Amino acid sequence: MKELPTFLSRRDFLGRSLGTGLVLGAPNILRAATSGGSDKIHVAIVGFGKQAEVLFNCLKNIPGLHFQAVCDISKSKLQRGVGQIRVHQGSAPKGYEDIDEMLAAEKGLDAAIVATPDFWHSPHTVKCLDAGLHVYCEKMMAHTIDAARDMVHAMERSGKLCQIGHQRRSNPRYRYTLEQLIHGKKICGQIVNCNGQWNRSLGASADIGGEKLHKSAIVPTEVLNRYGFKDMHQYMNWRVYRDLSGGPISDLGAHQIDIFNWFLGVAPKRVYATGGNSYFKNREHFDNVMCLFDYDTPHGEVRAFYQVLTTTSYGAGFYESFMGTEASIKISEISHNSIIYREDGAPNWDDLVARGFLSRKAVPAPPPPSADAVASYESAPPEAFDLPGGFNKPAHQPHLENFFEAVRGKATLNCDARHAFESEAPIFWVNPSALSKQPIEFTKEHLHV
Amino acid sequence: MPDFSTLSHPNPNTMSNEETCCSKDHNQLALIFGSLLLRLWLGVRALQTGIEKFAGTASSDAAIKIDGETNDYGLTAAESVKNYAMDHYHGVPQALMGKFEKEPLMPGFGLPLYDKLLGPTLLILGITILLGIAYRSSLFVLGLLYISLTWGLILIKEDGGVAWLGIHMIMIVGALALAQYNRLAILKKW
Repeated sequence: MKELPTFLSRRDFLGRSLGTGLVLGAPNILRAATSGGSDKIHVAIVGFGKQAEVLFNCLKNIPGLHFQAVCDISKSKLQRGVGQIRVHQGSAPKGYEDIDEMLAAEKGLDAAIVATPDFWHSPHTVKCLDAGLHVYCEKMMAHTIDAARDMVHAMERSGKLCQIGHQRRSNPRYRYTLEQLIHGKKICGQIVNCNGQWNRSLGASADIGGEKLHKSAIVPTEVLNRYGFKDMHQYMNWRVYRDLSGGPISDLGAHQIDIFNWFLGVAPKRVYATGGNSYFKNREHFDNVMCLFDYDTPHGEVRAFYQVLTTTSYGAGFYESFMGTEASIKISEISHNSIIYREDGAPNWDDLVARGFLSRKAVPAPPPPSADAVASYESAPPEAFDLPGGFNKPAHQPHLENFFEAVRGKATLNCDARHAFESEAPIFWVNPSALSKQPIEFTKEHLHV
Repeated sequence: MPDFSTLSHPNPNTMSNEETCCSKDHNQLALIFGSLLLRLWLGVRALQTGIEKFAGTASSDAAIKIDGETNDYGLTAAESVKNYAMDHYHGVPQALMGKFEKEPLMPGFGLPLYDKLLGPTLLILGITILLGIAYRSSLFVLGLLYISLTWGLILIKEDGGVAWLGIHMIMIVGALALAQYNRLAILKKW
């Protein structure tokens, strides 16, 4: 689609960010130096838990990959990974418990997929980069900001690619919305507020494992201790421990706060946060967190509110909203959760609809005004629109495709470690703000590598 | 005063042999039809339920046009269409699978096996019932299958589903009771 211009290139993005006094630094490496052509890319999968399976189901659809090795401390997960790969490619990969052993023994590896618990992301990514592999690592980059910094340094030191799994950055619907609708057609007018949430039910937030755990899934205690877990509960539920993860704001919020920073093109200047253990009294991390980021963008101030609740699914699950003077865009990885509202009085969009930039969305008729409403206080209901299409691949696939295209030298990374760091850095300060009940004004030390 | 009662309600004891014979034929035809209808219903129900285990959706690969040109973002037509494929197979619906896995009385090895066998079993039973192959035994096995489903739904407190399967069981018992009137069968034995 040649005549649809990309309105915010990476260079523009960087320039704009620098122009606002924020250092969103240039990435060292966005594509591999040499193209692999049609040669097979030899891949190792580090960690074969649930998220790795999600990724593997996408990787299976990408041609030209050979899965050479799998690494997991759990024998049952390792067997599962080896089995799934054998079924897929007809030959079994070599299985390892220990990543050092794998990196020492396996020759000819080109890339690694790191899908281990958050506190292992940084050590595993750094080891792979230093061993000369390109790395795709799941988000959140790390459980501490210093560990995330190590990943950026390792990427730049090694000259290898390091893509972080903020998969929305490669999602066609997100990219189209940002480049064509927000920047191109400027349909929002001035964006003044953002709003995002991930609300998850108790059932989905409950502890995993316990007495129901099948004995084949149990990892011996000495193995757990060797890899930083106290016991099986920690191993199965690392997301609720402070030394092992950043908690819900990191686990769930990182995806969406990244979208705030990506769409607005700048980093926030302060955060106010609060949270608490309202239901899961014994968890180390808060079970619900609410936070507010203040931004200074080239177009004016923006306030962005984000909440992550692990105690209720009420409120339509997860989405991000960008609310402007002329329109609001609510976007989500779940396509039916997305909608665009045109403000009454904004320029007419009939031409955009006719040319296919948007489609009209059928919405139910509003209910008649009730007796207890003060009609003069109400705004006219906004018209509803939708994106012109969807996309028919698993959510993580475009981001993985982008990574391997970059490995082949045919694309630039959509979310390299440095950009991911600059977007994730403010998230590391949400928990400290919530714990201290104090706002945090961001300085270079807070946000920079 | 003439007795009109026999006009509206003929007494079989006062009817001639010929009348009794015809009435029996009429009754038998009705029972044959009843048996056939039950056979068709239960057969179609089992067969199509088995087929639906292979149902899924496929999205269009066609890139949509924006401003007259094919977009290069990868945006495709949003509509998805239903299709059938071996890859779509799911014996036990995913939403229920998670609940069953948490049940202490559910044997760990049994659930994956049941998941694999449920669809093919329904397909086979649907075909045998529709074609009249070992009709009574097929109905009996179908009844056992519905009992197993009922047991699972009791565990996870899906009372609506239990009642729904109860209706199926009544229909199976009805079909077995009418099995002697079953016609057009390929294999009448068993």
